[in-house]
Amino acid sequence: MAGERLAILSEGVELDFGNGAGIFDQHYQVPEGSILGMIGPSGCGKTTTCRVALGLLVPQKGRITTLGRNPARFRAADRERIGYIPQQFVLYPRLSVAENAAFVASLYGMPARQVRSRLDELLAFVDLGDARHRLAQNLSGGMQRRLMLVGALMHDPVLLFADEPTAGIDPVLRARFWGYFRQLRDQGRTLVVTTQVVSEAVYCDYVAVMRKGRILAVDTPENLRRMALGGEIIDLTLKNPEDVHRALEVLKRWKDVVRAAHRSPDPDAEADIHVVVEDAREWLPEVLNRLENQKPRIGVESAAPVEVSYDEVFIKIMEQDQRLQEAAHG
Amino acid sequence: MADAPLIEQTAQAESGRSHVPAWRRWLIRARAYFLKEVNEIRRQPLLIMSLIVGPLLVLILFGATYVNSTPRVRTAVVLPPGGVPGLDEDQIRALIGLNFDLRAITTDRAGAEAQLAAGALDLVQIIPADATTALREGASPQIEFISNAINPLVEGWIQYLSYAEVNEINKAILRATAAQAQQEATGIRVRVEDAEGRVTDLERGVLEARAQAAQRDIREIRATLEALEQVLPSQEFLAAQGGESAQIRPTIERLKTNLERLDRAIAENKLAEALNEIAAAKNDLRLLNGSLQIFISTPPERLVSPVTRAYRNIRGGAYPAVVYYAPGVLALLVQHTAVTLGALALVRERLMGAFEVFRVAPVNLTQLILGKYLGYTVFIGLAALVLIVAMTLLGVPLLGNWLLFAALILLLIVASLGVGFLISALSGSDSQAIQLAMISLLLSIFFSGFFIALDSFAWPALIVAYAIPMTHGLAGFQDVMLRGIAPNLWTWAGLGLIAVITFALVVLITRRQLLKA
Repeated sequence: MAGERLAILSEGVELDFGNGAGIFDQHYQVPEGSILGMIGPSGCGKTTTCRVALGLLVPQKGRITTLGRNPARFRAADRERIGYIPQQFVLYPRLSVAENAAFVASLYGMPARQVRSRLDELLAFVDLGDARHRLAQNLSGGMQRRLMLVGALMHDPVLLFADEPTAGIDPVLRARFWGYFRQLRDQGRTLVVTTQVVSEAVYCDYVAVMRKGRILAVDTPENLRRMALGGEIIDLTLKNPEDVHRALEVLKRWKDVVRAAHRSPDPDAEADIHVVVEDAREWLPEVLNRLENQKPRIGVESAAPVEVSYDEVFIKIMEQDQRLQEAAHG
Repeated sequence: MADAPLIEQTAQAESGRSHVPAWRRWLIRARAYFLKEVNEIRRQPLLIMSLIVGPLLVLILFGATYVNSTPRVRTAVVLPPGGVPGLDEDQIRALIGLNFDLRAITTDRAGAEAQLAAGALDLVQIIPADATTALREGASPQIEFISNAINPLVEGWIQYLSYAEVNEINKAILRATAAQAQQEATGIRVRVEDAEGRVTDLERGVLEARAQAAQRDIREIRATLEALEQVLPSQEFLAAQGGESAQIRPTIERLKTNLERLDRAIAENKLAEALNEIAAAKNDLRLLNGSLQIFISTPPERLVSPVTRAYRNIRGGAYPAVVYYAPGVLALLVQHTAVTLGALALVRERLMGAFEVFRVAPVNLTQLILGKYLGYTVFIGLAALVLIVAMTLLGVPLLGNWLLFAALILLLIVASLGVGFLISALSGSDSQAIQLAMISLLLSIFFSGFFIALDSFAWPALIVAYAIPMTHGLAGFQDVMLRGIAPNLWTWAGLGLIAVITFALVVLITRRQLLKA
């Protein structure tokens, strides 16, 4: 992130609600034109983190700037540059799709003429053009979510906060939403998106993993994976299962490259070994050469980098933090 | 997604924003709330129907069916065994039926009282057995009224109507007594005229020293006077007539004393004194004769009710009930609609999380409240207009200045919205807001002067009464619509104060809630 212009900069931000609730010692940056995904279980402080960045809550410690200003001192002009999709549905059931969107746009001071042209674009953008005159109470849950996105984008914000916008919607629509977000990112907007769906990390440029109000890690999804697993994993299947023990000894001795080597966690795969290296694709040929060059030769039937799911990555990070916390508290 | 159009770039949006002047953006934001409220309300035709057509139908039903302001009191009359001498059932029905719904005339007191206790009757009247005898003996016979009223207003009416009935009975008795007295006095007056001649004879007898003849004349004159005293009504009754009638009994007394002295003077042979007494008696008899003439020729009705009343309403007459209550219905409709809509205005948005969105957006509280006030004011104003047109078709007048009338409606709407918004700001849920709005409706019905006049209440209740916008609206509407005069200063000041105080409180409370959102 070094050298990039920052939409949000948080340094040691803390807001303690008591009884362990709140956010603590939060350090993170969001470069302009990127998507930061905040991932964590319910109650981990994602919404509070957004509310502090929006200026709705004032931190007790630390410093935060959003679009270069202290959000607690935002002026109307600053707020006009920010969009927000809250966790709750804030739609007026007796207003039509167009009226709901126009209402939010008017709150940002948009004249009626601008609202009309902008609305046409955005309804087409989220495929709600046909539902323009339908009352919000007659929309499906997914359409209501899309309408909320339209409302948040009407005034064309440069920074968009979306608090769990994909909660409770089907995977297809979830993917569409992330498609919208990435398109908005590609147009230069910055997005902060919170979610409980760990697999959505793949859509983000940066991911902040949160637990109990703290940001455990914030990085690109790939870097987070490496951090959680200590590198990348190569899955090897040996031709002869009796070679497994010798292969593990060879790999463990190769400390410059191999960070760890162990039997595959799958008990049915007798001849499988997991080898942890910094970059699986880069080191895969070298690992094969090293085994093949042993005397007697260790034959490899198959070898491929393992695609570990973000759920596993997330669990690893959580477990690591748990261990650290336990160690810190004796 | 590949086909999705590219949306406008942020740089263009930034430049577009800067072209809209700040003051215009301020107005656009306030208008956003205004349009939202108007659009939401117009999508609720049932709400509009219930708010406008409902009260109108109630008013029409009231006007079409309201026939009497006095309660119908189901009554039984219990007569003494053998009835009341000289009074038949028809006369009793005519007399009591004037004020009461006479259901039965009976001699069974226990049966009537049982029906009263069972709720089949509202009142039992018990006529005393010995009324005529008691009257002759100068006592006051008593008619007993027994009611089972539970409504204090009905009980008040029964007491008043009982009083009126007894009054009528007393007048009837007095009328009969006076007529009889006049009839008997007519015969006696001939003897009084004759007594004047006898006094001349008496004078002659005294001069001629015929003492026995003179004393006989004196006795005859005294007998005439005593007979007259017997038939005349009481001095109180005659005194109430004033003038000559009031002097009849004192003149008789004077004459009797005078004749006594004369009798003594003749017996003692005091001629000069006797002649003086005779002269005085002559004069008094002349006066008595004149007074009797006036008493006899006065109609009995005038003797019983010497003072009559002349009533005139400078408007020609009071309005029919439906017209009189129309300003109250209008004030109630305006206030209740405003309070109900206002009560839900903030609490719903607060609960749905809209306050959070408002805080993130560049809107301020003034725009929020002003826009909402404006939206509701327009809607309620239109509803009031429809009701006024309908009332006009029903014959409800607007005698005063229509501009003042419009200004008053506007102020009533704003003040009532203030109460509604305050309820909304204080309520924790929709149902709580509705409940408080209903309480404000109940308060308005009881304490605004709509059905019960404000001077019926002790002062602590008046504090509540004057805190209700409808109290001032009702007084103002009655002035402008029915009297054709401008509402007084207190009406304007009252509504203005309520509007300002509630607005300030709403701003204060909502600001705190927004900061917590």
